[in-house]
Amino acid sequence: MEIVRNLARRRLRSTLTILGIVIGIFALTTMGAMAAHFNALLDGGARYYGSSIQVGAPDGQASILPMSKIDELKQVDGVAAVFPGYGFDAKPGSANVVNFGPPDTILSRDPAENTYNALKTPVAHGRDLTSTSRGEVVLGSSIANEFKKNVGDTIDLPVRPKDAKPDFVNHAFIVVGILAPTQTAPDVFAYVGVPDAQMLLEDNLPVALRDTIDSTQVAQSFTVYGQPGASIGTLDAIANRINHRVGGVKAFKPSDVVSAFKSGGAIFTAITTAAAVLALVIGGLSVVNTMIMAVTERFREIGLKKAVGAHTGHVLREYLAEAVLIGFIGGAVGYALGVALTNLLNLAGRSSNLELFLITPTLTAIALGFAVALGALAGVIPAFRAARLDPVTALRTTN
Amino acid sequence: MSSIELVDLTKHYKQGRNVVRALDGVSLEIGAGEFVSIVGRSGSGKTTLLDLIGLLLRPTSGQVLIAGEDASRLKDNQRADMRGQRIGFIFQEYNLLPALNVLENVMLPLRYTKSRVEDGRGRALELLEAVQLSDRLKHRPDELSGGQQQRVAIARALINRPAIVLGDEPTGSVDTQTSQELVGLMRWLNREEGVTFVIVTHDLDLAGRADRMIGLKDGRVISDAPVLHAA
Repeated sequence: MEIVRNLARRRLRSTLTILGIVIGIFALTTMGAMAAHFNALLDGGARYYGSSIQVGAPDGQASILPMSKIDELKQVDGVAAVFPGYGFDAKPGSANVVNFGPPDTILSRDPAENTYNALKTPVAHGRDLTSTSRGEVVLGSSIANEFKKNVGDTIDLPVRPKDAKPDFVNHAFIVVGILAPTQTAPDVFAYVGVPDAQMLLEDNLPVALRDTIDSTQVAQSFTVYGQPGASIGTLDAIANRINHRVGGVKAFKPSDVVSAFKSGGAIFTAITTAAAVLALVIGGLSVVNTMIMAVTERFREIGLKKAVGAHTGHVLREYLAEAVLIGFIGGAVGYALGVALTNLLNLAGRSSNLELFLITPTLTAIALGFAVALGALAGVIPAFRAARLDPVTALRTTN
Repeated sequence: MSSIELVDLTKHYKQGRNVVRALDGVSLEIGAGEFVSIVGRSGSGKTTLLDLIGLLLRPTSGQVLIAGEDASRLKDNQRADMRGQRIGFIFQEYNLLPALNVLENVMLPLRYTKSRVEDGRGRALELLEAVQLSDRLKHRPDELSGGQQQRVAIARALINRPAIVLGDEPTGSVDTQTSQELVGLMRWLNREEGVTFVIVTHDLDLAGRADRMIGLKDGRVISDAPVLHAA
């Protein structure tokens, strides 16, 4: 109570100090939420690509692969399952000048793939596709929000651009399921069955090739799996064997893909660290300044407390508690403002798939813990100064 | 047993190349329940003597015995404990904490000693009644007059039932009438509580109402005699 009253007695100074922490923690929260969003995105990618082997066309060739390759791939030692892959832009013609995440994409989905991949995409509402699904789609949580679709609704895919040419083709799909949020790429994916994906591939083929290619006999890529739970080293070895034994394809080693995701994550970790340092500098210096002034102004109080029996540790604790309280108040306000702003921006960006922030329990703990630690750290020197004061000198000080 | 015993006590300070002998071989005994005034000119060593008795300073040499216990060799925290439990302080400038109200100021020493706060609250209320401030419990120091603030400080000095109360010019910041009231109050508490009072003062009225007056000059005791009160 005395601590609160001491802060209240010097209202302007306390407010300015707390404001310093607020700014620091606000920066930490917003930048941290952005980093958490991107890290979740990249982590999802690392999990997906770290548990599968992507097989495409050899370098420099168009990615149209014969389905017969599935049998060849299955012959390779260690391969447990192979799925054909198809992917299309869900909003063709949209101008993504600044892209903060994967674009809305239509992908083929075989429910059996969930058995093998480490990145699980459970259905939250409705049901999953079946192996024979036609005219059905399962939407990721963000794309469902973006187009305000629920189970039972119909969605035309790909989405017709405003300036679509007369020969633009799309198809109506019934939404049969909506995935649980994953905070990663599947949130903006629309999954269709393989036969429908082959139909979309045919729509995408250049007119000159449509009559020469049977879309049911080709795939854009293959996703190859080892036994469920296979290590990345095992999968790398399988990728090497595929490249060695199967002609006309290129298998990417999962470890190479995961490394690329991790280096991307490092950038965002650096952003968080920079925000934390900013918070440390701004908030920490203001707390140090305030506490040094508080100690200087209260020499006689400290002397009196020591005269009536306070130990060095008592005085140290009291001043540290004051610094920690400043840190906590500033941290709580800064965090609350950060959460409010990121929620508002996410809400505003939802309609254009621009949700950039993710508040996680870890971020909450870091922001509040950091604020308290900052207060304590910044309060240590002034508190030591107060605690070590000679009582006679302190009592005789004229403020 | 003496309440306070000082044995060949010296306190020297260095000022540049010079050594200032603030206290120079003082030996004294003050009995339990005595009301003693210490007088002398500025620089005579009065406050240094009080600080040494109050364990706020360490002597250059000699011993300070409080109730027979040699405090000279105690560690800082042990000295703090002894101050908290056995010694009360009254200062000229009151030294009340502005963030605390009257009751909280009186109870402040309990925070640092092992006294039970519930017992301490009763004791604080009792003392505040004795100093006639029962109706000012929730007031802040800046809402009180100088005399009232000093009465709060006196109550605070007695909260832990100390054996000794040390006063450094306790009437130095109040008018004559208030000074007389405060002296009367301290004398009454001295009798009622049986507490030893040692008061450093320039106030001859206060010094004259003590049981014993000790005169200091240049760090030495030059007089030590009972005060004769008119019948």
